[in-house]
Amino acid sequence: MSSRTTKLLFMLPALIVLAVFFVYPIALTFYYSFTDFTGVGTPEYAGLKNYDRIMSRSRYPEALKVTILFTLIVVTVQTLAGLFIATLLQRLPAVRNFARAALFTPAMMSFVIVGYLWQFIYSPFNGGLNALLTSVGLESLTRAWLGDPSTALFAIAIAHVWMFTGYTTAIFLAGYANIPGDIEEAGKLEGANSLQRFWYLELPLLAPSVTINVMLSTIGTLKTFELPFIMTKGGPDGATRTLSLEIIENLFGAYKFGFASSLSIVMLVIVIIVAFVQNKFLRGREDNMS
Amino acid sequence: MLRSLFTTSVIALAAATAASAETVLDVTAWKGNEAEPAGMAEVIALFEAANPDIKVELTYISRSDTDVIIPPRLQGGNPPDVMMVDMPLTKVWGDAGLLVDWGTDAEWYGRVPEGLQSAITIDGAAYVMPLEVIGMGLFANSDLLAQAGITEAPKTIEALKAACGALSAAGINPMLMTSGYPSALFTIANGLEAATTPVEDLGNGNARFVDDAGFSAALDTFRELAAADCFDPQQMAGVDPWSTALSEFQAGNFAMLPQGAWNIGSFSQNPDLNFTFGPIPSASGAGVAADLFGFGWGISTGSEHQEAAKTFVAFWSQPENLQILLDAESAYSPFEDGGSGTPALAADYDAARAAGGIRNYPFSVGQWPGALDGEMQNAMTGFLLNLDQDNSDILVRWDETVEDNI
Amino acid sequence: MTKHNIRTSIGNIFVLLLVFVMLVPVIYMILMSFRTGEEIAADPLGMPSGLFLGNYINTLESMNYFRSVANSVGITLSVTVIVAFVGSLAAYPLARSTNAWGRAFIMLVALGLATPAFVTITPIYVIFRQVGLLDNYVGIILAFTALNLPLAVFFYVGFIGAIPRDLEEAAKLDNCTDFQVFWHVIRPLLGPATATLSLFVMLMVWNDFTYPLLLLTDPDKFTVMISVYRFVGNHNIEPDLLFPAAVLGSLPLLIIFVIFQRRIVSGVTAGAVK
Repeated sequence: MSSRTTKLLFMLPALIVLAVFFVYPIALTFYYSFTDFTGVGTPEYAGLKNYDRIMSRSRYPEALKVTILFTLIVVTVQTLAGLFIATLLQRLPAVRNFARAALFTPAMMSFVIVGYLWQFIYSPFNGGLNALLTSVGLESLTRAWLGDPSTALFAIAIAHVWMFTGYTTAIFLAGYANIPGDIEEAGKLEGANSLQRFWYLELPLLAPSVTINVMLSTIGTLKTFELPFIMTKGGPDGATRTLSLEIIENLFGAYKFGFASSLSIVMLVIVIIVAFVQNKFLRGREDNMS
Repeated sequence: MLRSLFTTSVIALAAATAASAETVLDVTAWKGNEAEPAGMAEVIALFEAANPDIKVELTYISRSDTDVIIPPRLQGGNPPDVMMVDMPLTKVWGDAGLLVDWGTDAEWYGRVPEGLQSAITIDGAAYVMPLEVIGMGLFANSDLLAQAGITEAPKTIEALKAACGALSAAGINPMLMTSGYPSALFTIANGLEAATTPVEDLGNGNARFVDDAGFSAALDTFRELAAADCFDPQQMAGVDPWSTALSEFQAGNFAMLPQGAWNIGSFSQNPDLNFTFGPIPSASGAGVAADLFGFGWGISTGSEHQEAAKTFVAFWSQPENLQILLDAESAYSPFEDGGSGTPALAADYDAARAAGGIRNYPFSVGQWPGALDGEMQNAMTGFLLNLDQDNSDILVRWDETVEDNI
Repeated sequence: MTKHNIRTSIGNIFVLLLVFVMLVPVIYMILMSFRTGEEIAADPLGMPSGLFLGNYINTLESMNYFRSVANSVGITLSVTVIVAFVGSLAAYPLARSTNAWGRAFIMLVALGLATPAFVTITPIYVIFRQVGLLDNYVGIILAFTALNLPLAVFFYVGFIGAIPRDLEEAAKLDNCTDFQVFWHVIRPLLGPATATLSLFVMLMVWNDFTYPLLLLTDPDKFTVMISVYRFVGNHNIEPDLLFPAAVLGSLPLLIIFVIFQRRIVSGVTAGAVK
């Protein structure tokens, strides 16, 4: 681009919107995080009390641990599943459009309905999953999936992945669409098989889609609270209590807006660190590959 | 002349019509939709007929959305005229000066029974006019009990244990003592009955749960029920109290469930389900009627139609108007001269109330902080997962939460 | 049949099976919506005994359905177009320069993506009330545009980064202005990215009910989710009300998606022709 002024003009509308709708509210939140604000009325200054509490109670580091584990599971499974399905669909033009639209339908349902449906699947009484395990002779594995602290987080992660794999697949398919046809043709002419084409030609060219997918799902999953809220309320006994759920619980019913603000600031700092590291790593990888 | 007279009168008539329809009340509530009609539409129609100069526009906002949608409107200086509130909301909004104080000399205030009166009064101010008190107790499937040879829903712990034994011997699942709310409700009800310290002191830090023999005994009782085959604790930890548990009871797969009377309506939808609603079984013999003060109306200080709003709210305090809501909700009137809307199948609960078994649910009357509600439910789920825990391990968690919220 | 054909057929069957597994819960939801409350109560997992349309008639009768669908379509499409334009415009210089300011902007965008909803909701209401944007289509479109903009910028930075620079260089030699380069060279290549982004934005805008509930008060302006959930309640689980409402709420969007599929395909083709 030629000049700084032009660049600024291009970015100006977005900058104004981001400043008004995000920078200003986040600055307010930062201020509230040092108060005992209840969400209405005038806040009173409370010093570092909110942050002190986050540090001194074991439940917040535990919630952070749950959040990170949940994010790791979701991002890994969702990215790999999306990449696998998109690669398949890329090779199967006949079903591509239908499958892409169909994989999107879970995301079209509200979280309430998704939570409700999966509770039936995981139910200890004639639940779909237990019935399936029993029918294939694995009765010993049946359990109350959402009630067992060792499986509850995984069970919710699967529901989450089920809901959002359509997104990941669509992004990878858009990435595939950006790969020039002649490169693929050249690969075929040189006799590369499907797996070789994927590994040596497509995957490097998909690097930008990998970046977008990993970063979007990481940030999105770090702030999600809906499925844990609906399916387990953070239970059993804290096993699925994520940081965002902690924030919501401090707002709903407890009206600790100030404290929720300080938790949000902690979460935003974590997101910025994660985004910074991922951005550096993934973009570096893009540069190496292209 | 005639023409101008005619014109004048048309204008005057138009002006009069405009003036008479001038006041439009913006009312928000988490009742009055298709799923929970609560008689809202009928009472509002009656009100509009009695007050032709006031029009009511009711907006349904679910209870959890209320926490999200209303505070921005209050902060932005554009609040609804009348809002449905419960005690936690009344406390926060009242303290911030956003609700009109009726004064303790208001007509309806004098008709609220003493126990509830003190509970809904915050620092001498009456911000909320209560609409209903609703029971929380034990649902019992009469047919399943009969199959095990039991004729009457249990009211004592001993009777409950005996019933569990008979039911499981007959191959029937006795009880949905699920994670979260049902377990907490059962324990709180028994704890309140046996508590050795005043209830409000436990919520304000003046006394501690861990020192209270009554709550410790309630946990012992809970453990004994598991031992008496009332429920499988590991399994119950995985049952959602708000969806799976309700459909399991409704489908007739379990004999008993601790839950709120607001489920009576949907349970009655299954014509094959014969059930009763009674008090939570307890040591004393009569059972505990755990009354929940549900919700009431609050008026915004920012409302431009405060007089009309007061007329509207006061209209609901008249027994004949309120009865419509009570019938739809299976609830009790919060007023001394009011009736009840419970059907015959809740006769046991009615009897327990009459026998002095009422224990106000401490969260609904602002005696315990809201955050403790969630922590108690969490801790009870933890208890289901490991019944070998010391009682004090559970009780200390409650005390810590109280400490964090005073 | 050649070996290649056999492999393609096996692949197709595998994908269709996968799609079916993914769709089982959706199919379950649709089946449930045709059952009566009593049927569901007695056996939550059973099949409908017949086509019971009562749920739908109830739900349709009690809401201003078609008006609200029109509102949702208008709001959703406006937001999608504005977000795509403003987002790609900002992303273009960001993708092409890697100086410190650009990186700071990207971090700002990440911050926007991560901001919890409760942080923005009160400031938006207070600002809109001051400038008179309450109960106004412009207001709700602006709010949704803002909420989706971080996603759009982020998305486009990634995809523009993958476009080779030589095409722009050629256009610049022809004395095109930066905007002309953006409009005639970059924008056409963003077809697949825009199509995918639009799906995400449409889904978010269509399904949200917090902002319409907060910013709109006139029932004639309500979106379909508001008119659906107003009667059911978004946290109430009464299957005979919840499921038809969910189906009625999502059906128009599904139809738009099916129509939109053609656009995606043409977007992809446009990208491939260059």
